Amino acid sequence: MELEIKREKLVLRVGTQKYEWHIEPRYWRNPFIYVGILILVPIAVYFLYPQWLPTVIDANLLAAIAIPLGWMTIGTGRMNFGPQFYIGVGGFTAALCSINLGWPPFVTLLMAILAGLIFGLLMSPLSIIAGGLYYTLLTLLFPLVFLEITFIYTDLFKGDTGLFGIAQMVNVGHFTVNQFLICLMSLFMMLLYMFIVDKIMRSKFAASMAAINDDEEVAEAMGVNVKKIKIISFTIPAVMIAVIGWFYAHYYGTFSGVTYLPLAFMVKVLLVSMIGGRVQIYGNVIGGYFIVILELFLSSVLGEYSQVVFPIILLILLLTLPEGLFGLYRKRRYREYLPTLHVRR
Amino acid sequence: MFETIEITLIYTFLLGSLYLLVSLGFSLICGVLRIFHLGYAYIFVATIYLTWMFFHTLNLPLWPSILLMVVLQAAIAIGLYYGIIAKYLKQEEKIITGLLLVAIIANAAANKWYPIQSAVNLPTTIIDGTLNVGSTTVPIQMVLAAITGIVVTALFVLFFLKTKTGLAARAISYDINSAKMMGIQVEQLYMFIMVIVVIPVIIAMLMIAPVLAVNPDMGWGYMTTAILVSVMGGLGNIRGTIIASYIIGFAHSFVSFPLGEPRLMNLAALIVVIIMLIVRPQGIAKTESLW
Amino acid sequence: MTEILKIDSVSKHFGGLMAINDVSFSIIEGETLGLMGPNGAGKTTLVNMITGKYLADSGNIQFMGHDITRMPAYRRCKLGISRTYQIPRPFPELTALMSVVVSALYGKDRANQSLEDAATEATHYLEFCGLFSKRNVLGKDLTLYELRGLELARALATTPKLIFVDEVMAGLNPDEAYKAVRLLERAKEEFGVTILWIEHVMAALMQAAQRVVVLHYGQKICEGLPQDVANDPYVIECYLGSCHV
Repeated sequence: MELEIKREKLVLRVGTQKYEWHIEPRYWRNPFIYVGILILVPIAVYFLYPQWLPTVIDANLLAAIAIPLGWMTIGTGRMNFGPQFYIGVGGFTAALCSINLGWPPFVTLLMAILAGLIFGLLMSPLSIIAGGLYYTLLTLLFPLVFLEITFIYTDLFKGDTGLFGIAQMVNVGHFTVNQFLICLMSLFMMLLYMFIVDKIMRSKFAASMAAINDDEEVAEAMGVNVKKIKIISFTIPAVMIAVIGWFYAHYYGTFSGVTYLPLAFMVKVLLVSMIGGRVQIYGNVIGGYFIVILELFLSSVLGEYSQVVFPIILLILLLTLPEGLFGLYRKRRYREYLPTLHVRR
Repeated sequence: MFETIEITLIYTFLLGSLYLLVSLGFSLICGVLRIFHLGYAYIFVATIYLTWMFFHTLNLPLWPSILLMVVLQAAIAIGLYYGIIAKYLKQEEKIITGLLLVAIIANAAANKWYPIQSAVNLPTTIIDGTLNVGSTTVPIQMVLAAITGIVVTALFVLFFLKTKTGLAARAISYDINSAKMMGIQVEQLYMFIMVIVVIPVIIAMLMIAPVLAVNPDMGWGYMTTAILVSVMGGLGNIRGTIIASYIIGFAHSFVSFPLGEPRLMNLAALIVVIIMLIVRPQGIAKTESLW
Repeated sequence: MTEILKIDSVSKHFGGLMAINDVSFSIIEGETLGLMGPNGAGKTTLVNMITGKYLADSGNIQFMGHDITRMPAYRRCKLGISRTYQIPRPFPELTALMSVVVSALYGKDRANQSLEDAATEATHYLEFCGLFSKRNVLGKDLTLYELRGLELARALATTPKLIFVDEVMAGLNPDEAYKAVRLLERAKEEFGVTILWIEHVMAALMQAAQRVVVLHYGQKICEGLPQDVANDPYVIECYLGSCHV
């Protein structure tokens, strides 16, 4: 077995097999370096400021929601304004299975995936039938209606108080070590999602999604199976987001519709996307950390007024940064696959 | 059973007219400006709480408070237009998120300074008391609100059909590029529309504030109804909006009275709208324009 | 001399308007069939029906032995039907190369083709249409002549057996128009495609086409060799005018 490090390649020879990996020579574009930094963050925070571990977890999770949302946006050609609906689906499934049936976290994970799959498939035809703006509107309304359902069937969903008593994901006895392990898990999920979506965005799948975004009809005339791509691009990100809902349920031990379903949470996720530079995947990570740190800073400095000042600052940022924070760095590349919303019929 | 039908029909009329006032502005903005004013919720909150601020905290009499509030709202609408909409007309996600943030700011501000406990209560009752219609009693204020709703809508329709500015607005809703080439001053018209859509909401809110509850989160519920009505009626089409308001009013009354489950109101409306969209995706409207 | 496309009594109406009324004809493999008719005759609607944008209300369409009357558009493309658009519809935010890559990837069923392989193939088609130097220009920035070339490259990349060419010469000056027609001829020779050509410029069509079909108000009024169609009195009255080419 022989490992050779050439200038741009890592070559591994085992017997008669040869494996090659391309290493990005420009260090500022090398993903391993950033992944290394991201892994160092929780370790550093654990040893230096353990009270900030929840902040890091939140940042990772917000980014992990925004990443599949970016895929969904590009793939279906419309903006989904209600991703928190799937957080509700995943979270409530996990919470109800854990409390009422007593199942351990990894079994509820499977249930959450199943629930996400079912609801994603049920709603994916909307991306085909409904025109751009109608789709956006309906996705906006679904979480609000879900919230109302949690209040209507309050004995099941405990709409007023929220469900509590959900099993913890890991429990080694020590609170801070728990937090640290959960932080690593959240980081792992975010990196996993990033890897999946990045590979998809660099594949031929992305070419068809770009074509669909530009002109659906012509794409279909060129042989692209538009319906299949839309359904896949809707359902799989929906499942990914539902898993994050599962994570929230088992991490906090409580889950309540009012935390995740109203518009305030959605705006946060949307801003993670926008401030991070829309659907730039790596930008979502920066957006996530930025928003969480901003919120933490504001609430520690301004106290009660942070509820009012936070959206004001976000509005200012939205209007002043043309392409989000990441746009300040990124050179203007010409491949923008983003759909535009028009009030058409 | 006869009473149930009666009360359902009465409330269909009352709620439908109210929703007409509420949704008219949203539909107009969709039709003329071709954007999605997801910040529409702020108008509801601003009407009530700004008036309360002038009236209660600054101790001005009622009518000057209302006047000041209207002026301030017009200024805010103009500011929003120039600040957000005019700059980003091509990047719709920015407009939508920006306006949504404005609504959230309004909600948070109302929550901070006048939370539910501060018992905001506007004495805008015109006629007190209730009316007996058949075997049901309804607050007279609501009947007045409904009648005002119909009158205001009729005025708007006349405006769009008979005046030059209305004609220009209709032209824009048909084809913006041709309208520009014909010399219509699109920017000014956009600004004008942004300001006048505030008026039906102000009237609606002031009239029903004594009857229905007031709290900082009220904007979202009304905006949801406005969205549902506009989507069903065909975005931007006034005729469709009128029909859709009464259909949704009927859905709400039907769920509240014969079925007796008022909590299912929004869900029922959503289901009606989804069915409508599956059957006829372009909504009730027959044309793609304002009327 | 096999028929690759056979259209049998197809009709299509939009509301009260009968756009295509009981049209039947067939296309023989390897020929260039011209489709003529006044504006509004239904030529583009007919092409839309065959390529799958609209479904025929009645009638039958057979392509290479398959019944494609109810097939979705992308399956028809994979079988071997391709088209260009009268008003070019490029993918505005994609570069010319990426547009052709999309067709190359999805226009046919081929195993083991990655994005880079498709890009290599796409450069071949771009080179053929003379657009190689413009491969990194966005669709919205190309000139009309280049857009027409891109339409053709995109259609060819799906390795079709039958291409519908919709008014390739409209809006081009005589020099560009000549080059466009030459491009179509070379495409036929090199790729062995059958062409159905909608055109208003009679000189080019009469020269290039082996047979011509004339539509008028959605009905076929004449079919045959170019010179026969040009001399047909009804065609002259409806379309050509008494001073024909």
